[in-house]
Amino acid sequence: MIANPEKHRYEGFERRISFMRAVFLAVAALLILRLGYLQIDQGETYADRALSNRIRRIPLRSQRGMIFGPDESIVLASNRAACDLFIVPNECEGHEEEVTHLLERLLSIDGSELLDTIYAHRNRPYTQIPIKRDISRAELTQVEEMSFALPGVFAVVRPQRRYLHGETAGQIMGYLNEIGREELDRMPDYRMGDFIGRSGLEQAYEPVLRGRDGRMVVSLFNMGVPQMRTDSFGNPMMESDQRGRRVVVEARDDPTPGDPIFTTLDMPLQERAEELLRGGQGAIVVMNANTGALLALASVPSYDPNVFVGASEKNQIRQVRDLLTNADGLKRMRHRAIQERYPPGSVFKVMMAVAALEEGLISSSSTHSCGGRFSLGRTSWQCWQRGGHGSLDIVDALAFSCNVYFYHTGLALGIENINKWSALMGLGVTTGIDLPGEIPGLIPSPEWKDEYYAEVMNRWDRQWHRGDTVNLSIGQGHCSVTPLQTAVMMASIINGGRRVTPYINLHHGPRVSEPFISEETLEIVQKGMRKSVTKQDFPSGTGRLAHIEGMNIIGKTGTAQVVSLSTLERFETEDGVPGNIPNHAWFIAGVMDEDPPLAISILVEHGLRGSTGAAPLARDLIEFFYTERAQEITHVARLHED
Amino acid sequence: MPSVQNELLSAHIGMFDPGNLRRIDWGLAVLALALAIIGLITLYSATYGAAQSESIEEVSSLSWSASFREFFSMFFGRQLLYFLLGIAIAGIIVCTDYRILISLAPLFYVAILGLLILVLFAGHEARGGQRWLNLGIFNLQPSEFSKIVLIYMLAWYLSWLGPRITKIRYFALSFVLVAIPCALVVIQPSLSAALAMIPIVVVMLFASGCRLWHLGAIIVVGLIPLAMVGMQVRTFQEVGARAYEERSYPLGLKLKGYQIERILTFLDPERDPQDKGYQSIQMRITVGSGQMTGKGFGQGTQTHFKFLPEFHTDMIFALLAEEWGFVGATTVIGLFLAFFYRALALARACTDPAGSLLAVGCVTLLGFHAFTNIAITAGMLPVTGMPLPFLSYGGSFYLATMMCIGTLLSIHVRKRFFE
Repeated sequence: MIANPEKHRYEGFERRISFMRAVFLAVAALLILRLGYLQIDQGETYADRALSNRIRRIPLRSQRGMIFGPDESIVLASNRAACDLFIVPNECEGHEEEVTHLLERLLSIDGSELLDTIYAHRNRPYTQIPIKRDISRAELTQVEEMSFALPGVFAVVRPQRRYLHGETAGQIMGYLNEIGREELDRMPDYRMGDFIGRSGLEQAYEPVLRGRDGRMVVSLFNMGVPQMRTDSFGNPMMESDQRGRRVVVEARDDPTPGDPIFTTLDMPLQERAEELLRGGQGAIVVMNANTGALLALASVPSYDPNVFVGASEKNQIRQVRDLLTNADGLKRMRHRAIQERYPPGSVFKVMMAVAALEEGLISSSSTHSCGGRFSLGRTSWQCWQRGGHGSLDIVDALAFSCNVYFYHTGLALGIENINKWSALMGLGVTTGIDLPGEIPGLIPSPEWKDEYYAEVMNRWDRQWHRGDTVNLSIGQGHCSVTPLQTAVMMASIINGGRRVTPYINLHHGPRVSEPFISEETLEIVQKGMRKSVTKQDFPSGTGRLAHIEGMNIIGKTGTAQVVSLSTLERFETEDGVPGNIPNHAWFIAGVMDEDPPLAISILVEHGLRGSTGAAPLARDLIEFFYTERAQEITHVARLHED
Repeated sequence: MPSVQNELLSAHIGMFDPGNLRRIDWGLAVLALALAIIGLITLYSATYGAAQSESIEEVSSLSWSASFREFFSMFFGRQLLYFLLGIAIAGIIVCTDYRILISLAPLFYVAILGLLILVLFAGHEARGGQRWLNLGIFNLQPSEFSKIVLIYMLAWYLSWLGPRITKIRYFALSFVLVAIPCALVVIQPSLSAALAMIPIVVVMLFASGCRLWHLGAIIVVGLIPLAMVGMQVRTFQEVGARAYEERSYPLGLKLKGYQIERILTFLDPERDPQDKGYQSIQMRITVGSGQMTGKGFGQGTQTHFKFLPEFHTDMIFALLAEEWGFVGATTVIGLFLAFFYRALALARACTDPAGSLLAVGCVTLLGFHAFTNIAITAGMLPVTGMPLPFLSYGGSFYLATMMCIGTLLSIHVRKRFFE
């Protein structure tokens, strides 16, 4: 049974064993070399890769700064806590049908669809499945009351932008939406899914309002997707991934909320201004003439920026698209006071009067005779008063808005002076308001004309002619300004000849220039504009409908022809109305001897005449501001004192 | 050596003698024990390491018996049982005269063939291949035991054969002995287990004094194409299908991409064809990120956070390399090398041809598994399910390893009496 020990191995055995040893040694050496290459030579690279394998940085979004009125008692934009309801399949296992049935009853959602989704997540049972986004407080209460019957259902709180005044000052607020893919390349601070201010204050003060995002550094399992929850204080926290595996929070850097901004807006006044314009289209600027602080900056029709907030809802998607594509043709997204230009019409005469007086070309006693028409060469221009105004001085020319007087004045000034003084008084140049997208408008100049007609006219026709100056003298032709520019001009007339920079952010102003208009000039212009408002008997001032007994109001009307031939044609084709488009109505007003003195600019699109279409609005606003508002303010002040 | 004295000694050392346990080769035993303990430590980390309590749910306070059960249902607990069971089996083998076991080899051989056939019909399938028999508390993988049975069978055959091995028909017959279990394992299918039988027969033939050109012819016919295929498969795994298509090999001996896909699926049935080398990349990251001294016990991130699958079985060396770094990995390779050196010294010292052949067979089995597994983990060979002796989790192979240890110690106990 036992093998015979006498049997000997063959002679070469020991040599072969030695060979095997050598093979073992060689293989071991090879393995060690390879490990040395991987672990020592390439070790650091692989260590980095191991780290990035496992570590994820999860952004914690900062709360956007609030937007207030002049103080914290008036909130224009805030963040409300939006509650999203989620369900975790693992935690409601075995009760899926009851839970979804109950949820269907409480939240009026499609329960069977939810049930299918839950079943589809069998292999990822810790995934947070959204039930309903942004549930109402009543729904939340109901869900909380029934929580014993709703295992695995929980709410995640996230801040959501809310504009408390809806359409009022909508364009000033601007809106937020998700950052675009191509923008991300330019803006390294932003990430996919971030919201960014798109217009108005939200865009202008994006860096201030945004704050700084924080982040959470977590260790994840392979293929782990961390599931974020919020604790009872609304702070984000993270415990597990979609498969219920632990998520280790390695480091946490809490976000810094954005700073609030305070605005100069007087919301009741803003609301009143928009109310006055409602039904039509137009813009109203009410500005503190001494500082440039904007108390109201209305543009109608407006839009509600809240529409953009929850743009995941189906009907809201359509609303947003309609707004962005200007589907109703009303240009709701455009702030008409700064982003739309209108021919200034007779409002321009204020600047003309200042320029001529300052240049010494006319004095308070200079008169021109108006026979109702003005001829130059073979062309003639009319005064709006067909019968003519007779002989009048600068004060009456302003009060009755005589065209002929200003034709003469314009020719005397020449185009260079008109351009110079337009720019000085803020016409045809951007005002520098702290809102994005302001347009400069246009005051034609010889250089502009040469360039503009380069393609279509010969050199002779492209030259600046005296006729062009005549046209420009009463604010017609290609001349166009924004309502805010005329308010800036108005402010200069009543604040001692200073140029203001309008602003909305309370801490962004005031920025006011040294006086650049003499007292004498201002007095004469004010006198003319006061007469325009106060002269009630025939021949009445053009702005007489803005008159309020006992107040020192000055003003200037304007009636701007809707000149562009192409515009006429467009209107004709669209609704078949013959080409007689009503003129735009202008009225600029200054309220002197009050605190604060106001510079007001009103533009009513197709308001027919400044005297009837715009001037009464100014009267309403002034009355509202100084009487009703004053009472309210003193009332509030008294409350505070008590 | 007078035969009377021999008889006396034989009488002194019985067929089964627990006293043998005192006479074992302590050097070899200590090396084996060191590797086994390192294996248990590594598996402890694999079971209870940094992120192993992965579930966020609190484990409710278990009763003592429940936590006891839980302990022994985890990798570490079970492996500890295999370790103790393995020591017991090794002890029994040490006490038994290996020559009796060799003489019983044909019986074992037939028995294991029976089990291999049985498993094809009654076996449970796991991980795509790798069949096992469910024995209630223990899943028996006959393919792992067939390796050690094959060693005994070949030792029996070759020692019976003696110098006749130089004749080619006897040489060829030994391949027939291997081919039968090999074929049964291949159709399970478990290619890697079948693959491990080839070096056993080749090395044992080599040690039994066969003609080198016989062996050379076999190697040229079988191994060189195999090595070439292996190289191409590994390249494919590393660079991905597209880059592989652009490579060229001498004489146009190049496998098509889909052929390699088939081989890979055959080697690793669980493989996801879509992963484009994900596993081999993660494997290298795991090993490489260990750097010089490793991330520390239980701190391996690649493994504990599940970036590397199967890290407690075939990839256990990656965990070791990650947590203990180059130092730890080299130490383990060094321990293996020392163990094999000492076992080969034993084979040389044993004057009984059957004993030395048995020793050579055991060394080959362990050495091939150890170095192939490490080479795979280091990204030098295509990924195949090849367990690492002493370290990989898995009962059948662990017990087979312990049987090898017992056999080696048993040979040592008896080698002196033939000097």
